[in-house]
Amino acid sequence: MSFARRHKGLLPWALLLPGLLWLIVFFALPLYYQGRISLETGSIFNGFHFDWHFGTYTHAWSQYKTQFLRSFWFAGLSTFLSLVIGYPLAYAIAFRGGRWRNALLLAVILPFFVTYLVRTLAWETILDDSSPLVSILQTLHIIGEHGRVLATTGSVVAGITYNFLPFMILPLYASLERIDGRLLEAGADLYGNRRSVFRKITLPLSMPGVVAGVLLTFIPAAGDFVNAALLGSPKQTMIGNVIQSRYLELNDYPTAAALSFSLMAIILVLVAIWAMVAGTESLMGSEAK
Amino acid sequence: MSVDREMDELVQREISRRQLFRLGGAGAMSLGAAGFLAACGSGGGGGLGGGSKTVSKTIAKAPLGTQLNFSNWPLYIDVSHGKHPTLEKFTKKFGVHVKYTEEINDNTEFFGKVRQQLANGSSGGRDIIVMTDWMAGKMIKLGYIQKLDHAALPNVQKNLIPALQHIDFDPNRDYSVPWQSGQTGLIVRTDKVGDVKSVNDVFNPKYKGKVTLLTEMRDTVGLTMLGMGKDPTTGSTADALAAIDKIDKYVKNGQIRRFTGNDYLKDLPNGDTWICYGWSGDAVQLQSDNKNIKFIHPEEGFMLWTDNMMVPVGAPHPYTAEVFMNWIYQPEVEAPIEDYVNYVPPVAGTKEVLLKLDPGVAKNPLIFPSEEVLKNGHAFKQLAPADEDKINNAFQAVIGA
Repeated sequence: MSFARRHKGLLPWALLLPGLLWLIVFFALPLYYQGRISLETGSIFNGFHFDWHFGTYTHAWSQYKTQFLRSFWFAGLSTFLSLVIGYPLAYAIAFRGGRWRNALLLAVILPFFVTYLVRTLAWETILDDSSPLVSILQTLHIIGEHGRVLATTGSVVAGITYNFLPFMILPLYASLERIDGRLLEAGADLYGNRRSVFRKITLPLSMPGVVAGVLLTFIPAAGDFVNAALLGSPKQTMIGNVIQSRYLELNDYPTAAALSFSLMAIILVLVAIWAMVAGTESLMGSEAK
Repeated sequence: MSVDREMDELVQREISRRQLFRLGGAGAMSLGAAGFLAACGSGGGGGLGGGSKTVSKTIAKAPLGTQLNFSNWPLYIDVSHGKHPTLEKFTKKFGVHVKYTEEINDNTEFFGKVRQQLANGSSGGRDIIVMTDWMAGKMIKLGYIQKLDHAALPNVQKNLIPALQHIDFDPNRDYSVPWQSGQTGLIVRTDKVGDVKSVNDVFNPKYKGKVTLLTEMRDTVGLTMLGMGKDPTTGSTADALAAIDKIDKYVKNGQIRRFTGNDYLKDLPNGDTWICYGWSGDAVQLQSDNKNIKFIHPEEGFMLWTDNMMVPVGAPHPYTAEVFMNWIYQPEVEAPIEDYVNYVPPVAGTKEVLLKLDPGVAKNPLIFPSEEVLKNGHAFKQLAPADEDKINNAFQAVIGA
């Protein structure tokens, strides 16, 4: 008791300690070693040594430009699709869900009870060449007679969209659900039709959800490798696959580390630009107000 | 961890002073290696040095340990009701508990995981590891493997099949004892592609998008080289690169759907794949489930490889490991493993035992290929590090990573 009273000032630090330790051990230290390894040269057989070798970066960029661009293209497309699919869904749950709201939300989260890998493997089976779905698409001439769904760009983007959709829906729902119904009534009282009420009231107030959803979807999607590995072909390889193969297949740790670092840096820049465009206020959510 | 185990053994029985001294030294070494930061970084120096000087000594006879730590590939030993009957038999006979870990999924990946420890003279507690020929050769060269005592392995001397007695990376089998061998060839859906004879049929435009090759570089490049009339055992780096260029062409035009581990186990039955490079052990399983699936030894030849048991430096129970290897090399012990695993057993006499136990397996030409067939098997040559880098990089670029 008396100890606690005498050292009252230390309490906030003591409470911070677990989180701080966590950050140091699982974030700062690995980041440091990653950075260090990316500047090493050598091979697994002769050992690696640190010598500020920045050449690995330029070499990795020129060699894997395609995969970098492809990752951001796939991630951007999936994020856009998630927004298009997720917004109406979140809107419907928030405003029309009624007493089913919680059940509907649960339905959105439910797939998360099964691991990511298993869900993606399930899609591999659902979309395989002899599946009913594919023969229907062939009969309807949506894909060619010998066309396929699996191992195409379409299946990889669809897989990413599917896997990260809840990350879009949940923040959207959270911001839509918080909108004060009286504002919408006021809009209607002022002779706003439904479209202009949506455009002038609902949409601006839901922007924090859009901004957060886009970030939560885009960032993991850009680094994803599971969808490309299981649902794609060599033509859909993303930067995550390259990093994985550099680490595990080739034991080329410096290149793998340099690629990881570059990926993080690019995402950081993109997020910063996004934050500037969207405004930090909406990024922080409406609590900030 | 290994220190604890050594302490247990010290307590359990008397031990000579010299042994005590030796154990103490080993303990200090593994403590040194355990330094967190050292393990975290990819480590400076190390490399070819490490324990290489101290290990050329042959494993000495010693009392049996209480435990044997065996690291192997998944699904590579008999399983019954979640247990491994063969290992239980060993425990019953020798009173040695076998800690069996299925931790090896890929030669390179595993090497990356243990290299630092081995360079520091520690095996991470492992007594036996199982590595494919080329990686086995590499580890022996680096001094990461202990020399076996032939006197402790009379069964191996007697029963190791002649074809495997002298191999290029370990001419007298001083460091390695075969666990299983396997063949890499074509696996096809006969109802889709008919009777196929040549490796080059994977490039037949009729099968566009229905072809998969293996992510294992030596298998895929080796088979493709055979199709081009080059021998992977004697061919040059340029030949290998030419084969990779050829594969690249067919990746770009969509002929090759993707590169797989044994995903064809699913892709062949459901029709995503009609023809692929694959492994004989998997084919045995597929053929028994689906009569339209067949393993084919291409007329140009096929790849033949062996996974080898080895005792890494710093292994806590090297002599016990030898006892285990020697015990495995009895046909009656090997037969139940073979009955489950379905690759090619290196132990002579296994077929005769299996004829009584499971004639179907004993008569399967994929598990017991004839001398005639085996003559067409090829091994990928040992590559110099620079060549290996070049070929690996080219190959990884083609398979899309």
